[in-house]
Amino acid sequence: MEKKISKKALLKSFHNWFYGHLTCFSQEHMQTFGYLCSMLPLVEDLYEDEEDKAKAMNTYTAFFNTEPQLGTLIVGITAGLEEARAGGTEDVDDETINGLRAGLMGPIAGIGDSLVVGTVIPILLGIAMGMSTGGSPLGAIFYILVWNLFAYFGMKFLYFKGYSLGTKAVEFLIGAQGDAIRESVSILGGMVIGAVSATWVSVSTSLQLLNEAGEPYLVLQDKLNEVFPGLLTAVFVIVCWFLMAKKQMSPIKVMLLLVVVAFVGVLVGFFNPGLVY
Amino acid sequence: MTISWLQAALLGLFACLSSMPGMGGSSIGNYTLGRPLIGGFFCGLILGDIKNGILGGCAMQGGYIALVTPGGTVSADVRAVSYIGIPLAMVALKSYGLEATSVEGAALATSFGAMVGTLGTVLFYGTATVNLAWQHIGWQAVEKRDYHKLYVVDMVLPWISHFICSFIPTLIMCKMGTSVVELIKTTLPMDGIAMKTLFTVGSLLPCVGIAILLKQIVKQVTDFIPYLFGFTLAASMGINLVSATVIAGMFAVINYKIKMLSVSKAAAVDGWDDEEEEI
Repeated sequence: MEKKISKKALLKSFHNWFYGHLTCFSQEHMQTFGYLCSMLPLVEDLYEDEEDKAKAMNTYTAFFNTEPQLGTLIVGITAGLEEARAGGTEDVDDETINGLRAGLMGPIAGIGDSLVVGTVIPILLGIAMGMSTGGSPLGAIFYILVWNLFAYFGMKFLYFKGYSLGTKAVEFLIGAQGDAIRESVSILGGMVIGAVSATWVSVSTSLQLLNEAGEPYLVLQDKLNEVFPGLLTAVFVIVCWFLMAKKQMSPIKVMLLLVVVAFVGVLVGFFNPGLVY
Repeated sequence: MTISWLQAALLGLFACLSSMPGMGGSSIGNYTLGRPLIGGFFCGLILGDIKNGILGGCAMQGGYIALVTPGGTVSADVRAVSYIGIPLAMVALKSYGLEATSVEGAALATSFGAMVGTLGTVLFYGTATVNLAWQHIGWQAVEKRDYHKLYVVDMVLPWISHFICSFIPTLIMCKMGTSVVELIKTTLPMDGIAMKTLFTVGSLLPCVGIAILLKQIVKQVTDFIPYLFGFTLAASMGINLVSATVIAGMFAVINYKIKMLSVSKAAAVDGWDDEEEEI
C-alpha cells in the first residue's frame, strides 16, 4: 500500500522545525524535542492506529543535535523515510532511520557551522556593518531581510529536497555503496570538525617557570605549540570525548568536571585568561 | 539618560527572543535579533536613539562577527551582549559625554560587550538547565502517548526558563544602569579567582560541544586521524574553514572512489569464481 503525507502536514512539520528546533534546548537532549515536534504532524498524518503512532514517535526519542539550518535536510530525509515505512517498505526500520540520523548529524554540523554560521552570516554582517557606518539603520534592515529570506527559503528547499530523496537516500546509504558514502562523509565531517575546533576553540596555559632574575625560562604554551600547535585544545577535546564515549559520562557531568579543572587550574597558575576591564 | 521600567521590560522581552536556545527560533531569534548590529538597532528603537544604538551595535559586532556555537556550547551569550551590553554602553557613553564614533567610545562599548557577554554564558547554561525540567515533563508525555503536550514542552514552557534567565536579569541590569557595571568591576575583579575561573571555563566548555559531535564520528582510535588532520590544517597551516572544507571534500571523494573500486572488484572476483566452478 502506497502512503503519501499531505502537503499540509509536511509544511506544518517544516515550520515546527524552523521555529522549534532549539526552543527547548538542554545540554542533555539538545534538539531532540524540536525533532519530536517536527515529526508529530507527519506521524499523525500517516498512522491511524495509536500503537503505530507510538512506535513511530519512539524512533525519534533518540538524541539529536546538528547545525539546525543545514540539518533541515536530515529532517526532510526522515520525513520521506517515515512515509516509506508507513507504506510498508521493508528496509526501513528504527535502525535504518536512527543510523542515518546519527551518521549524518556530525558531518552536517561541521559543514553547517563552517558554511552557514562561519561564512554566510559573517559575510552578510560585514556588508550590513558597511551600510550602517555612521549610524544608519539601513544595514540592520538589510541583514534582517536578506538573512531571514535566505534562511527560510533555504531551509524549506533543503526540507523538501530531503523529503523527495527519502528512500533513495536509504538505497544510497545501505549496502556496500552506502558504507563507502558513510565512511567518506564521516572523514569529511571529522576533518571539518577538526578545523572548526582549531579555529574557534582555544585552550591555552599561562604556566611559566621563572629563573632567579625573574625572567621566564620555560613558557609552557610556547613549548607545547612547538610540539603541535593547539595541542591543549586537541587534548581537552579528546579527553571530553573519552569521558563521554568510553566512560559514558553525561555532557553535564563533563562540564561540571571542567569547571573544577578550571578552578584548580587557576589556583595553581596553569590557567590565566589575563584580561582586564 | 536613564532607562524606564517599560523600556527595560521591552529589552528583557527581546533578550528572551534572541538568546541561543531563544524563543524567537534560531533564524529569527539568535541569528537575527541576537546579532549585536541588529540588537543595536532594536535597542536604539526602544531607547529612542537609533543612531547611537546602531553605532554601539557596530562596535560590538566586530568582536562577535563569526560567533559560532560549536555543538551547542556557548562562549559568549548574545542576549547579554545585545540587550544588556548595548543599552548599558549607550547610557555610559551619554554619561561620560563620549561619542560612539570616537576610538574611546568604541573601546568602551566593546569592553562592556565582552564583559556582559561572558557573564551572560551563566544565563545560557541557566536556561538550558531549567529546560531539563520541561523535558522531564516531555518524556512523561511520550510515555503516556500524550504527544500534543510536546508542543507545550517545546514551545511554551521554555518561556518560564527565559523569564528567569533572560527577562529578570536584563530588566534589573538595564534598570540599575551603569552603577551595576561599576559594582561588578569592584566586587569581581578580573584578576580575582572567580572571574579567572569563569573566563577559563568559557574557553574550556566548547571542547564538550566538539566532543559531542565527535562521538558520532569516532568509533575507533584511527577515526581521530581525520579530525587531527583538519585540526592541523587550521592550527598549523592557517588554512581557513571554507578552504579546509574543500580539502576535506577532496579526501572524501578519493576515499569514496577507492572504496567503490574495491566493491566493484569484489563483484568481479565473485563472478570469476562462478565461472571457474562451472568449468
